[in-house]
Amino acid sequence: MIKEKSKKIHKAKVARIEKVSANSYLIEIEGEISQEIKAGQFISIYCENLTFRRPFSVFSHNSGKIGILFKERGKGTKYIKSLKKDDLIDITGVFGNGFNIENKKSLLIGAGIGAAPISFLKSKLNEKNIENLFIAGFLNKNEIPSCIKADIAYTDDGSYGRKGSVITDIENIIKDYKPEIIYVCGPEIVLKTLSRIGEKYNIETQIAVEKVMACSIGVCRGCVISVRKDGNIVNAAVCKDGPVFSGSEVVWQ
Amino acid sequence: MAVINGILKTDLNGFILKNPVMTASGTFGYANEYNDFIDVENLGAIVTKAISLLPREGNKHIRIVETKAGMINSIGLENVGIEKFLSDKVPVLNANNIEFIVNIAGSTVEEYTNLAKICSSNNIKAIELNVSCPNVKTGCLEFGTDDKSLYELVSAVRNEYKGFLMVKLTPNVTSIESIGIAAEKAGADAVSAINTLKGTSIKLNIVNGKFYKTIVQGGYSGAGIKPVAINAVSRLSKVLNIPIVGIGGIEILEDILEFFAAGAEAVQIGTANFTHPDISQNLVFELEEYIVKNGFNDLTELKKELRA
Repeated sequence: MIKEKSKKIHKAKVARIEKVSANSYLIEIEGEISQEIKAGQFISIYCENLTFRRPFSVFSHNSGKIGILFKERGKGTKYIKSLKKDDLIDITGVFGNGFNIENKKSLLIGAGIGAAPISFLKSKLNEKNIENLFIAGFLNKNEIPSCIKADIAYTDDGSYGRKGSVITDIENIIKDYKPEIIYVCGPEIVLKTLSRIGEKYNIETQIAVEKVMACSIGVCRGCVISVRKDGNIVNAAVCKDGPVFSGSEVVWQ
Repeated sequence: MAVINGILKTDLNGFILKNPVMTASGTFGYANEYNDFIDVENLGAIVTKAISLLPREGNKHIRIVETKAGMINSIGLENVGIEKFLSDKVPVLNANNIEFIVNIAGSTVEEYTNLAKICSSNNIKAIELNVSCPNVKTGCLEFGTDDKSLYELVSAVRNEYKGFLMVKLTPNVTSIESIGIAAEKAGADAVSAINTLKGTSIKLNIVNGKFYKTIVQGGYSGAGIKPVAINAVSRLSKVLNIPIVGIGGIEILEDILEFFAAGAEAVQIGTANFTHPDISQNLVFELEEYIVKNGFNDLTELKKELRA
């Protein structure tokens, strides 16, 4: 007998797909997901003829539509890019823990496509009137998605905003802004650096980790990282126990 | 759709399942992790992630990589250990009416027999032996690649365990028939075939004229291995009297029918559970619908016709 349950697999419809920078796209999908979505949580998209669903953290969630910001990187994103308005797609989720918002002066850091969940987090903090500063970094001006509105922007080549990466002048920014919490998403080097800086200045950090996933639900154990828990070093699945971890708990390889 | 009483009933040497669709070890967790997608109790059985005597951390390096038509995994048997499995997972399985087979793994015969004893004293109805683990006593040769070691292992486990005993065969051998025969002679109630193929992925990245390599060596699974699995089941079915459970690359109903045609009595769905978490349940319903639509009385008759 089949019982009614809140199933986490959905057929969703593409409501909009739009190029928002030289190599990134914003896709909005309409599905049956009505639950509140936390910034940092993700959905997984089935891509035709590929074994692994591709996980994407949510960029926006308005009136039933989930927005995903993605950069074309390989076969999966090439497929998603090819979708048209009204196409049906197969999504699973919402998965993961998401950022745990605290009522504290917040520094938000998003590097590259990692700016997507951080931008979503900023909108949540703004709704709650929590003071925040959003720093985003990209390779160059052409790669900045038009839908990302950062307070401070960096480009590696200086073609827009400040020259350098989000970590270039981070210690001075922290000294000036005096955040009580730092939220980060981006490449490992950025996560690692901010975790260390957070410890140095005794500021709590929450970091969103990215890993290749097969199942998205903690079963395959393909995406595990090492974390400290009760004095021991244990495995944590990025998909289920994360993707957001406290910067101080992650054991970097 | 409700499961029509009885038409999918599957008898594996006295171990009776409501239908022949199981999920393969390592692809379905320990218990009800898939309840967010399906009603797990609708499946014939789930085979648990491999359980060892003590908890295992698994491997540190990159563990999974996608390939054409599948994936390579090198998880390293990360698991909670038999004690935690019995205390935390079994009650959940039982409370949810989920039929399960415990996949057990060890590195010595004693480890397997201890696991078998523990399963026996805890009334575990069915176990599947993962014999693709290195046997430390023979210089890390896998139990499942040598008919003598396999016979010794299965006999020892058989002595300690009276429930349903299935041996999961590795395809990484010259003659899968001789390995299957060894399992049958040693008293196995069934064999499942196949475990993953050995595979290596090398991803190259060139930066400033220097190559950076990401290498993952492990077990290859997914749609790509289906012909190898069908071949193994066909060959085994010619020499064995015990039932064969077919595993390897199943994604659609036709794949299951092909395994039945090759001689399998039941099947396990593996990697496809990651891609489509509702696939195993969908296949149960599709199989039932297929039997009804084509006018067969039941699964037994369908299998008979497929093998005619």
